[in-house]
Amino acid sequence: MTSKSNSSMVFISVGSLVIFLAFWELLCRMGFIEPLFMPAPTQILARAGKMLGDGSLLQHTLASTRRVMVGFMVSSLVAIPFGIFLGSSRFFMAVFDPFISLLRPLPSMSWIPLSLLWLGITETQKYSIVFMGSFAPSLLYIIEATKGIDPLLIRAARNLGASNLDVMREVILPGSLPQIIAGLKVMLGIAWTCIISAELVAAREGLGFMIMNGKEYFQTDTVLLGMVMISITVMVIDVLFRKFERRLLPWTRQ
Amino acid sequence: MDPSVAASAAAPENGVEKGAVPKISVKGVTKVFSSKRGEVTALKELSLDIQDGEFMVIVGASGCGKSTLLNLVAGFDHPTAGEVLLDGRPVAGITPECGMIFQQYALFPWKTVQENVEFGLKMKRMPKQERQERAARFIDLVGLNGFEKTYPHHLSGGMKQRVSIARSLANNPQVMLLDEPFAALDAMTRQVLQEQLVRIYEKHRKTIIFITHSIDEALLLSSRIVVMTARPGRIAQEITNDLPHPRNADVQLSDRYMELKRHIWSSVQAEVLKSMEVEAGQ
Ligand SMILES: Nc1ncnc2c1ncn2[C@@H]1O[C@H](COP(=O)(O)OP(=O)(O)OP(=O)(O)O)[C@@H](O)[C@H]1O
Ligand SMILES: [Mg+2]
Repeated sequence: MTSKSNSSMVFISVGSLVIFLAFWELLCRMGFIEPLFMPAPTQILARAGKMLGDGSLLQHTLASTRRVMVGFMVSSLVAIPFGIFLGSSRFFMAVFDPFISLLRPLPSMSWIPLSLLWLGITETQKYSIVFMGSFAPSLLYIIEATKGIDPLLIRAARNLGASNLDVMREVILPGSLPQIIAGLKVMLGIAWTCIISAELVAAREGLGFMIMNGKEYFQTDTVLLGMVMISITVMVIDVLFRKFERRLLPWTRQ
Repeated sequence: MDPSVAASAAAPENGVEKGAVPKISVKGVTKVFSSKRGEVTALKELSLDIQDGEFMVIVGASGCGKSTLLNLVAGFDHPTAGEVLLDGRPVAGITPECGMIFQQYALFPWKTVQENVEFGLKMKRMPKQERQERAARFIDLVGLNGFEKTYPHHLSGGMKQRVSIARSLANNPQVMLLDEPFAALDAMTRQVLQEQLVRIYEKHRKTIIFITHSIDEALLLSSRIVVMTARPGRIAQEITNDLPHPRNADVQLSDRYMELKRHIWSSVQAEVLKSMEVEAGQ
């Protein structure tokens, strides 16, 4: 595809968004839609301005982002070495398999009551929800990624004097890194669902809390603003993640 | 059969001591693979000695067990019966003493040329400075200066195989095992690499076991040629290659070259036909 047709595609996308927002605005102004049911885009924008002014919008966004990042980092930092270890040892894979199989189907939501009982409405409770929601699936992604390694490369490494640990560090980790990162990108999205549900249930700040709180006060604009902020934040983080990915995988660059 | 050829078996040249412990000794090795579809006897009671400093080329029909034999020497796999000795001691596991060069290069895609060549040295925990210098020397030896920071997927097949040879040499193995290393390359690149390998062999005096399907390649490179039988693989014939060096165009057009080629071809052909019958009967 040429760059010209690419830029015209962007133009079409922007155009369709503007037309949609204008139509929505128009319907609200003409009184076809009740503001409590669905506020106009300008009303949401006004709410954003107000909340930016008093700093609460930034506070909620940062709170959620921090929770996702901490929970996700801890989960990845444990899951990557553990997954690579399990991926290269059939014995330990068999040992841990039943536990992983039991943990995996549990939605992160189902951990909320237990985590509240154990940890109360604390930051640690938020981190642990993100951790529990993303750890088992991350681990499975990573184990799967290690299976894609060409066994010939492991042979070549062993032939050049690599120990088992060397093989894991020098061959299996870098060899499965592209798939691991692809998996973690999906997991990052899941981590966001975890934290928003946790905040919807019990929290004192964060985008999930902001949405729930907006609903309590019948501020539909706050609810919608919270939802928009979640979308925007996840999109921004996705872009940053892509940058980081290119840096980690220099050999895949053309 | 030509008596002048048959008589020249054994008695390796190149100043190899007779009666010394062979570098590699394959003793009555049988290898049986069991799979769901049944058992395959890849090698049967195969015995073969390779002296220090020999350039031994193995030819044989497809599926006769050549790669299997090489994998046993490298320690990638274990014989079902019999044993493989390196310097008189049984090969217990994968050993860096026997550097393997694969037809598919087996370079690490995430490492640059330099890092690939350094790999074995890094595994030996050689200090960074020292291993960089050593790697640079071997990159130079295979003529890849200027490509140190290139990743393998930017290289041609011939260049990849040169990296793989440099990577193996940098690790200073006593034995080099090459499994059809040039089979995937075009004729011209192959010729360049063959000449390079001969130069390396003459300079570094490694013991080499080289597998090929090409009788010309065998005649150009070897000091001894082994023809394997159809599966289950055994030694059909050993031929000492007494062609003079360098084996240039003149040598390749000589009567002796033609004689050896015809002789090896007739022996290989018989085994290829046998192996085709075996396959047809399955
Ligand atoms: N891991 C394995 N499991 C089962 N059978 C195997 C295995 N490896 C090799 N074989 C069988 O053993 C026989 C010898 O295989 P090998 O790869 O050594 O042949 P080869 O002489 O190298 O053939 P080619 O010239 O095609 O490379 C073949 O029939 C092959 O199918
Ligand atoms: Mg083979």
